[in-house]
Amino acid sequence: MESIVKKYQQKFRRVKDEMCRWDELQSRLISQFSNASSIIQRLQVIQDCRNYGALKCVEDIENAVLAKQMESLQTILLSINKTMEEFHGIVSSLEKIVRDSRQLVKAGSSQPTAKQLKQRVGVKPTLAECLDGLRLLEEMHQSEYLLKLSVVSALPALALKPSESGDLVALQQLLVDQPNIPREEVQFIYDIVFAEEIS
Amino acid sequence: MEPKTPPYESRSQSQKSTPPPSSAAARLWRPAAQRNLRNQWSNLNSLRQDWRSAASAGRSHATAIVNSYLSQNTTLGARRTLVCWCFGMEVRYMDGMEFGVLSDMPNIRKKACSKLFKQQELYRGKLLSSYRDMVAIVTRMVNTCKSMRCYLRGTSNSPLAQFSFSLEDDSDSGDCGGIPVFAFYSVASFEELAWEMVRMFVSELNLKRLLVMELLYIYDEKVAKVIGICWSDEFYDGEFDELSLLNLYSEETREPVLPCLRGCKSSTSAVQSKQQQDSNVLQVYLTTWLVEVNIDRCRVDEIFAIVGGEMHVDFS
Repeated sequence: MESIVKKYQQKFRRVKDEMCRWDELQSRLISQFSNASSIIQRLQVIQDCRNYGALKCVEDIENAVLAKQMESLQTILLSINKTMEEFHGIVSSLEKIVRDSRQLVKAGSSQPTAKQLKQRVGVKPTLAECLDGLRLLEEMHQSEYLLKLSVVSALPALALKPSESGDLVALQQLLVDQPNIPREEVQFIYDIVFAEEIS
Repeated sequence: MEPKTPPYESRSQSQKSTPPPSSAAARLWRPAAQRNLRNQWSNLNSLRQDWRSAASAGRSHATAIVNSYLSQNTTLGARRTLVCWCFGMEVRYMDGMEFGVLSDMPNIRKKACSKLFKQQELYRGKLLSSYRDMVAIVTRMVNTCKSMRCYLRGTSNSPLAQFSFSLEDDSDSGDCGGIPVFAFYSVASFEELAWEMVRMFVSELNLKRLLVMELLYIYDEKVAKVIGICWSDEFYDGEFDELSLLNLYSEETREPVLPCLRGCKSSTSAVQSKQQQDSNVLQVYLTTWLVEVNIDRCRVDEIFAIVGGEMHVDFS
């Protein structure tokens, strides 16, 4: 039993590594999103030739500036998609960790009994706590990924109607907040699993 | 850049009918020419990095000017007291603001304003000096383009072949009869690629000059009188000399050529500058500074990739 718990703790460490990668991607995504949204917020202003002041003497300048900005926006949107793919990679590997962990309890004997699952040795977590914890972490990241996906896929549409740029601020805040991954809850899971290491 | 008149247009090898060089001469010429081209192109490569940092420094100074001006505007009328310690960004509302207990201090308003004015003056100075750096960088680019050829020096019957990179003898076109220097490209092709790129920077520099002029114009008439500069003014001593080298100064009109987009004709209408700038216009100015409409980054990278491939140098 104890050795299985050790194996689970190993899995939690792997999840932690994935979550570190997630945080890196998160800050990358935020900066990409805010770059995109500052371009989108400018689009209306730069399309209006009345805003060109002294630059009016340069023929066709507004089209050139607009074209350049659209080009950069395109590039940013592509890199956002790349970041999303990497997020997806993390979600997949969390799924795999959960799948493997289910195998782990079955491996030794037949289905463990409810009693075995809830059996506690010292400060070590029970098997049920380990299983639930992993599943919960996976679910959090899975739903957060889906949320992010829907937020970033709203971007191109917002670029077409920049008047609703107020939405951009709200969307960005949503990305920053990551409502599906409550920090305290994550910490709570880790506190239980690694209770022995808390001094 | 009008293709008709540039004084620095590369000399095509057809202009001079140099007899095809003997293979011995080519054998001697090639290593010297290769070394020269490698040096010149790595110069160009570091110059484009220099441009990038000068342009981005310029952009942050420009942003500071605009922000300072806008924050004066947005806070205009806001009644605040005891803020005169935050001298950073608040000029405009000095007028409407209440100094509270501080109003008893002699000349407090005047002192605060003059301090703020000094701050803005600092940004203006920095922007101008970034512009100056950019002119110097582009000037060096143009000089580099002009130094791609490699001429035989001294007498041909000397046992020691020596080469120079400045023209000494009119009969030598410096490209060894247009033979490939490395694998395929002649000196003229290298020059053509270099000019293609440098022209982008030249026209972007000219556009930035207009932006600098406009950004230096931003000031608050309540705080101080700034003598704005106009297009025909020399922004700093010696600017016109450098601009004529870049073909950006017209001897005819005795003022700098008006900016235009790459490949377009520069406009004949005069620059009209308004003193009071609206925040949208300022945003457009900053965006225009940022996007560098005249510089096609992909093409520039491609040019360096082509040249790098040819001479087996990695410029990235």
